[in-house]
Amino acid sequence: MKKIGLTVNGRKHEFVVDDQIVLLDILREDLDLIGTKQSCDRKGQCGACMVLVNGKSVRSCLAKVVKLDGADIITVEGLGTPDNPHLIQEAFVLAGAVQCGFCTPGMIMATKGLLDNNLNPTVAEIKKALSHNLCRCTGYKKIVEAVQLAASFLRGEQKSEDLYPAADAPMLGTSHIRPSAMVKACGLARFGADYKISDALELAVVRSELPHAKIISIDTSEAEKMPGVAGVMLAKDVKGTNILKYIVADRPVLCSDKVRYIGDPIVAVAAETHAQAVAAAEAIKVELEPLPVLENTDQAMAEGAIQLHDEIPNMCFEQPIKKGDAEAAFAGSAAVVEGEFVTQINHQAPLEPEISLAYWEKDEDGEDKLVVVGRSINIHTHLGMIQEAVGYENMRYEEAFAGGQFGIKIDVITEGIAAAAAMHFQRPIRYVPSLAESMLAASKRHSFKMRTRMGADADGKITAYANDFVVDNGAYYSIGHVVALRALQMLTGAYHMPTLDIKARLAYTNNPWGSAARGAGPPQQNFAMESTLDMLARKMGMDPLEFRYKNFLEVGQGVSTGQKVEQWPIPALMDAMRPNYERAMKEAKEQATDTVKRGVGLGCGSFGIGGPGDASIVAVELDDDGGVSVFGAVADPGEGNDSMLTQIACEVMGLTMDKVRLNTRSTDVTAASGPAAGSRITYMMGNALVNGLEQLKEVMAATGAKTGKELEDAGKSRRYIGRKKNIEGTPLDPKTGQGPNFETQVHAVQMAEVEVNIETGEVKVIKMTTAVDAGKVIHPQNLTGQLEGGMDMGVGYALREEYIAGKTHDWRSFKFPTMATSFDMEVIVLETPRKTGPLGATGVGEMCMVPTAPAVLNAIDDAAGVRITILPATPEKVKAALDAKA
Amino acid sequence: MNTRAGQDGANAQLGRHARVVAGKEILFDSENFFWDFEDWSEEAVRELAKEAGLERLEEDHWKVIRFFRDYYAYNGRAPLNSKLKKGTGLSLLELEGLFPGGLKYGARRLAGLPNPKTCN
Repeated sequence: MKKIGLTVNGRKHEFVVDDQIVLLDILREDLDLIGTKQSCDRKGQCGACMVLVNGKSVRSCLAKVVKLDGADIITVEGLGTPDNPHLIQEAFVLAGAVQCGFCTPGMIMATKGLLDNNLNPTVAEIKKALSHNLCRCTGYKKIVEAVQLAASFLRGEQKSEDLYPAADAPMLGTSHIRPSAMVKACGLARFGADYKISDALELAVVRSELPHAKIISIDTSEAEKMPGVAGVMLAKDVKGTNILKYIVADRPVLCSDKVRYIGDPIVAVAAETHAQAVAAAEAIKVELEPLPVLENTDQAMAEGAIQLHDEIPNMCFEQPIKKGDAEAAFAGSAAVVEGEFVTQINHQAPLEPEISLAYWEKDEDGEDKLVVVGRSINIHTHLGMIQEAVGYENMRYEEAFAGGQFGIKIDVITEGIAAAAAMHFQRPIRYVPSLAESMLAASKRHSFKMRTRMGADADGKITAYANDFVVDNGAYYSIGHVVALRALQMLTGAYHMPTLDIKARLAYTNNPWGSAARGAGPPQQNFAMESTLDMLARKMGMDPLEFRYKNFLEVGQGVSTGQKVEQWPIPALMDAMRPNYERAMKEAKEQATDTVKRGVGLGCGSFGIGGPGDASIVAVELDDDGGVSVFGAVADPGEGNDSMLTQIACEVMGLTMDKVRLNTRSTDVTAASGPAAGSRITYMMGNALVNGLEQLKEVMAATGAKTGKELEDAGKSRRYIGRKKNIEGTPLDPKTGQGPNFETQVHAVQMAEVEVNIETGEVKVIKMTTAVDAGKVIHPQNLTGQLEGGMDMGVGYALREEYIAGKTHDWRSFKFPTMATSFDMEVIVLETPRKTGPLGATGVGEMCMVPTAPAVLNAIDDAAGVRITILPATPEKVKAALDAKA
Repeated sequence: MNTRAGQDGANAQLGRHARVVAGKEILFDSENFFWDFEDWSEEAVRELAKEAGLERLEEDHWKVIRFFRDYYAYNGRAPLNSKLKKGTGLSLLELEGLFPGGLKYGARRLAGLPNPKTCN
């Protein structure tokens, strides 16, 4: 041990530490400076823990405190507060560089380290200075812009106060300051791990290392004797059903007899400290007897395959679409192409680990109430699931600030174990799993295997499309068939396809359980469809842009399930893209070398929002100052739903932003608005909000009341429930797949410009351009932020990322996007007001995942003449294809 | 083949479905919760109660059903049992015993509250 003196944010401290303690521990645990975050299991991979040490930006998870005696430390809290922020914090907020906010403090400290020494950094210098900082939300574009803006503030060229929108600036089309942005930029937003809970036990969980096995025995005797251990919890100790049922009752809180994927939880151990819990978990001996493994859907559907779940067959859902006589149409086509496409299992990769907390409090009647704190985007559903699983009803779910989610939190991940442990041990619980464990525990993007065929007549009009696809459901159902259905509903994308022969199947395997992942189904299917379409255009010698243009759906024609569309603004997007396409094609020809070929690829997407039968509900109240309070479970893990709700409420009521109060995080006060998923929030909850506010305005007009009290004095309620109810949701016809579809769509045309090194197979994205129409734009920065982040995620999906159970365990092995992999981006926005959208808006969160991968793969083909059909298109796969071609 | 084909199997268990109750077609979800709170009627609930084994709905049943509906209409969510106890003056034991299927799968369903699950 050694005594160390540190100055932290101007205050002197002394600590006695051993040689293992890192600065991150001191800052977070001893000084409660929770703005310094932790994501990467202290491997220095994420930069979320970056602080200044003696003026230099340092990853505090790697900095041993024993070597820092006398050091001067500055954390994000040392820069400024929401009332008096530092110019760099203001620049991040004003540039729209703050989405989920988990990476933001580290980004800001890296920026401070850079700008303290260089007030005129180039983009390359900015990227280098922030090369250790990861972000999943932004695609890095707005972060670079924020650094440039901060530099201009610090050089005195611009004043930050000149850039804040006026309070009375229009509510539609103005990037008013996102309500949650400054608290995140100042490091004051509490994410799960930031909660301090008195007397809490820390939890560690033993998970299966085998994909399929019988549990023979669990020996916890050694673990239970270890220091600080409060006890262990097995499946038998979970008081309720022990099943987390979203749609199908198949996923245990803790496994009792079998494990079904690498990562299945078996036993939890609770101890006074995290280190004690982890040490005890390592001492637990679990004997597993391997069972036959279903590695893929072919094996799962084969004759004699072992059935994974007793109550439901491996192939657990199927739905065709049959439209016209596709076979005859193929036979009469001038050209037909076919292909087989496979997409990978992928991690959604939110930066924050899957943290859950559970503690007891007394309710208003003095009864014991269990409070669960987690990362949910679906708090009311999750409350119900956990109540049944753990056998306790008096419960509340609170959404903490969430460090990204991208679909992963539509289902319960670690909250079930935390709640069960709080019941079992009758103590508060902190369950702070590592990144590696979070990856094991959480759902994944489904892998699709797709066999496609597409034909066209001599004029280049598509005659028929066939796709026989199987979705790998993984070990547990979650939202399984919903993903297959969404792929079917958006199957024809932007196009008119007169005949269809489609077969969708869903099968359990021993892979990680699939669930929602940005786009959830359409990105996989659209990759195959847009690739096949591009192959057909090239086979016919037609320009891919002209071929697409010729085949766009027209108003009055039907989408895959037959529903006719009333608005379809995609031709205008292609018109907007055309000059960029012509420029890119010219540059590609000019800049190609013998070794590095350059190509241009297109992809389109028409993404349905507002599904048949969907409903949402939001409560509004008129406050005593004439402001409005909104009560709805409208999760905001980074997209900007707080801006959406606030600006819609301001627009409808004629208020300024400070007069709108959002209550969105607790099941005790919110209406059950449904999940923050499927790009449904703006459309569903925005519409419900408008509906509630219109009821309120009507009563205010009738009574002349301006405040809640005046309304009550007039004998009226101050509270109104707004609803959005979609068209009837009868199921698709079981034989033809015809039936209702989404109420509206967001459309995009996307272009990738890539370089392919034909000697190494390496692909570099030079630029992505997207032209998007999401209806009336509420908050331009939030809109472009979603598109830029989506393009970055889409490129990662196309070229690098893959989750391999047992092998992918951190951000490096996942190939997380970095400043080094970031690329130039351009967003073109058209605004066709949607007839059914709130104030003409729709949604945009998932759009860019849909056409990005095919655009990149089509560009690779354009550059190098090779078609990669199995994602991701790694250098090895591209090189192999080039060698095969040669 | 380890499969189950189409609509007669798993599919039917997973989606919403329509039924005629008290002369009106009503959509229910996979767990037989009303799809739409506003489709509920006293006639429908009497018929559904009979199907569940309650020949006649007594005053206490109506008290519980009305509390559920009023609470949901005001708050947009289902009440916790503590609210239900206070609102009806009945003990949890009495409440649970009133409805076949208990509170969540009996009373709450009969009161027409939606299952708070949706992901379209």
